Amino acid sequence: MNEELISKKDLLDLAGISYGQLYRWKRKDLIPEDWFIRKSTFTGQETFFPKDKILERINKIQTMKENLSLDELADMFSPNISDLQLEADEVVGRNIVSKSVMDFYLENEKGNHQFHFSRLLEVFVLEKLLQSGEINLDEAKMLLQVLMDNRDQVKQKSADLVVTRKLGLSSCLLLINNEGFYFDKGTKIAAHVSLVSCMEEIKSKLG
Amino acid sequence: METKKRGDLIINGFGSSNGGQFNQVIVNGKGTVNSDIDCEKFECSGTGTVNGNIVSQSAKISGNGKVNGSIESQYLSIDGSAKVANNLIVKKLNIAGKAYVGGKIKSDELKLRGKITVEEDCEAEVIKAESQFTIGGLLNADLVDITIFANCKAKEIGGQTILIKQKSSLLRLFKGFIPTQLETELIEGDKIEIENTKAGMVRGNHVSIGPNCIIDVVEHSGELLMAENTVVREIRKV
Repeated sequence: MNEELISKKDLLDLAGISYGQLYRWKRKDLIPEDWFIRKSTFTGQETFFPKDKILERINKIQTMKENLSLDELADMFSPNISDLQLEADEVVGRNIVSKSVMDFYLENEKGNHQFHFSRLLEVFVLEKLLQSGEINLDEAKMLLQVLMDNRDQVKQKSADLVVTRKLGLSSCLLLINNEGFYFDKGTKIAAHVSLVSCMEEIKSKLG
Repeated sequence: METKKRGDLIINGFGSSNGGQFNQVIVNGKGTVNSDIDCEKFECSGTGTVNGNIVSQSAKISGNGKVNGSIESQYLSIDGSAKVANNLIVKKLNIAGKAYVGGKIKSDELKLRGKITVEEDCEAEVIKAESQFTIGGLLNADLVDITIFANCKAKEIGGQTILIKQKSSLLRLFKGFIPTQLETELIEGDKIEIENTKAGMVRGNHVSIGPNCIIDVVEHSGELLMAENTVVREIRKV
């Protein structure tokens, strides 16, 4: 990833905001922690940001803060919708997940029919991979296990899910804050999904 | 939430219990709670240990409290000594005794008096400190108002208004023997007034540097005031 960086000082000049505003937005989690990139320069330590992303975000905040409070804004930018509740029938009805995958999920996860965001994400990932034929049912069970065991991690960070096969043996990896991964030649990557983009897909389907 | 009536958990004397949902949790003797607690009111006046997280409306630790987890509460006051392994997420937080936080503090209104160690960031809308503190990460607040009582340390300080001043001591006699100061790598804010501070970089709009400071670089866009007995190696006007 070779994106253009902007120093904090230049950013403040360019966007016309003050230190107070920047720190306030950081406190309210309007700007993700991992956008703060520390580098040493000849003047000492400086903080940099990914230029395009931060400018777009600041632009959004500035145009929307007239109508919304900072807390409401934070909910919008955070990758998960915390107070979401859906019935299983509703999830199927809205064409987010097919009936067969939903049945499979409920059977294996052994939960109730109330879907909050984490569960919705899990069933959505299964739907995506099973429908495209990238994984089979056994692998889906394994994948579900990984997702369920690491719900907290998935919620807060940007996670990637990878299913690999080697000599007919499959395994499933959950990568947190992933920067890249490599396998030996014999290993085939059966499926790779970014959970953040899945979350966005769900959000757009809900909205 | 559920409407069923919650019971109380009260430990007087030696005792241990599992956690759960309660109305009140009170530990007066030497008590141990072995899992997560969800309660309206948490009070620890003796030596209490909680091996789990606490979620409460109001909490008070006046004795010796140890929480191997996080505390999430609307209100928390620590008057005795408290050791929290993970985060403190508390709307209104008052620390008057001694506190160690292994994670971060996230608060709206934070008052510090006593001795505080935070391993990670410390965030609030308003931070008032008259204490000795060590903060491993960023001290971030709209208004940072610090009166230095003993040596203080923070990795970085950022916010809108940052005021750091030396305790006005009646016993000026001792001042020479115990030089106290605040040490930090970076201070960034719109309005900065500091005293007795050692910093690598100070960046701001209106900057006022009082006596006994040692600062490598000051960058200011507005006005800069400097006291006489202070050392600034480089000044940049931007």
